[in-house]
Amino acid sequence: MGRATGPRRTAAIVGIGHTDWSGDWTRVRNGDVPADSTGYAALAFREALADAGLGRDDVDGLICGPTTALERMGELLNINPSWGDQGDAIGAVMKAVQAVEAGLVDVVALVYGNNQRSAGTQYGGPKAMGGGSFLSYVYHAPWGLTSQGALYALMFQRYQHVYGFTEADLGEVAVAQRAFADLNENAIMQGRPITIDDYLEAPYVCEPLHLYDYCLVNDGGVALIVAEAERARQISEHPVYIEAMGRSDLNTNATSLEPRLTDFYHPAQHRVAEKVFAEASVGPEDIDVLQVYDSFSVHIPLALEGYGYCKVGEAGRFFQEQGIGPGGALPTNTGGGHLSETYMQGWNHQVESVRQLRGQAGARQVEDCRYVHYSSDVAGKVASIIYAR
Amino acid sequence: MSDERSFPDRVLGFYDVPMWQHLEEGAFKLQRCEACGAFRYPPGPVCHDCLSPESQWTEVGGGGEILSHATFHKGYLPGYETPYSVVAVRLDEGPIVVSNIEGAEPADDWIGRRVSLVLVPRGDAYVLPRFQLA
Ligand SMILES: [Zn+2]
Repeated sequence: MGRATGPRRTAAIVGIGHTDWSGDWTRVRNGDVPADSTGYAALAFREALADAGLGRDDVDGLICGPTTALERMGELLNINPSWGDQGDAIGAVMKAVQAVEAGLVDVVALVYGNNQRSAGTQYGGPKAMGGGSFLSYVYHAPWGLTSQGALYALMFQRYQHVYGFTEADLGEVAVAQRAFADLNENAIMQGRPITIDDYLEAPYVCEPLHLYDYCLVNDGGVALIVAEAERARQISEHPVYIEAMGRSDLNTNATSLEPRLTDFYHPAQHRVAEKVFAEASVGPEDIDVLQVYDSFSVHIPLALEGYGYCKVGEAGRFFQEQGIGPGGALPTNTGGGHLSETYMQGWNHQVESVRQLRGQAGARQVEDCRYVHYSSDVAGKVASIIYAR
Repeated sequence: MSDERSFPDRVLGFYDVPMWQHLEEGAFKLQRCEACGAFRYPPGPVCHDCLSPESQWTEVGGGGEILSHATFHKGYLPGYETPYSVVAVRLDEGPIVVSNIEGAEPADDWIGRRVSLVLVPRGDAYVLPRFQLA
């Protein structure tokens, strides 16, 4: 698939902002309610504008995340844009680039806020979040199957069986990301490193997945400013370009879990890999940092194999011999990811990608970081962006 | 329907209702495409293989194979006390059905085990297609 036309570099991220994830984690656990979803988004937007050195009137496009209404968000920020839309993290960035390329906008604000912790958002049970979009999240409830974690438990159980992967292999993901979180002052789990033994001794939530395979659930917000490339160079000393992007969806028998249980999303990842690596004129070996949407640790071995960072069935060996943690050959989710930094539904991964490419990642900075690959494969909707300096 | 609230809600979309009615009457039937013969699950308006809207509700043979399984240690739903297990079964007719094992569970290896259909009433709420080891 895909005509490879060379790097896009038509738009770049010039501003990043986010709320105080770990402070709000503590506040919410103490019973305080710091803000609602729109409030977190608005606070993040202020930070992103300041980071870009822009004023609100410079913004002519607005995209908000799925958890807030576009009109209300625009009203609160008092933005009357030339173009607006809504999307999840990767969808929002891809839409912003498309709008720039279409000549609709020059500077787009992407804002996301989520009060999922303080509002008690349910990810399992009769009111499971996402059931309106993904029938598999709710259809099997009469048989006791609920929660997105359980869908990944079923997927991982079969994956283990087919490839001889072990629970201890999977534990490498949680341990590595926790080690990165320890180097990240914004990470909720900074200062709480874990070992493989800690991982294996932690209770199962849905067996074979342990507690540390699951993402955090916390409140917060993220905002990004995306600008047309020429504007981006005027605005920022270190624009982070969208070098390539691609997407492939697996819908065949998705409700009965066929894409999860037969090929583990790999066919879609193969297609996306072919497109984005060609478009960016790089290969997996050129990627300095991998960022993977990690609602569950299981996403990481599947992505490594699906995108060709290692052969299918060899992720466990890759973890041992190459490494995905600090100092590893393929630093992955370098901020700590959803498991240990903050569960901002992919938005925090964009912030971390920018920090690594700017060289602003402090103690966890990957040396001479030139290419970052972000992948999201929620429910078999596989999409990737390659970011570059 | 007196104790429906003791059990998890079903998704009762337009095309699901006949399947649950047939289960109530003692048969697990799925739509079989009249044009190409493919079975589909969950029920829907057209064949996923050939898009034909013509289908017959056809009883499945009841045989299948366990593709995967998972055990819940955290509970979310009424009518399910932890720990309990769910299985994904590949029916001989093709579709994958998420379900449970009735009676003895496999001692070690679940995946690849043959299973056969049993219909299990859940109080007065509804009848579930489940499986036992063959
Ligand atoms: Zn057909």
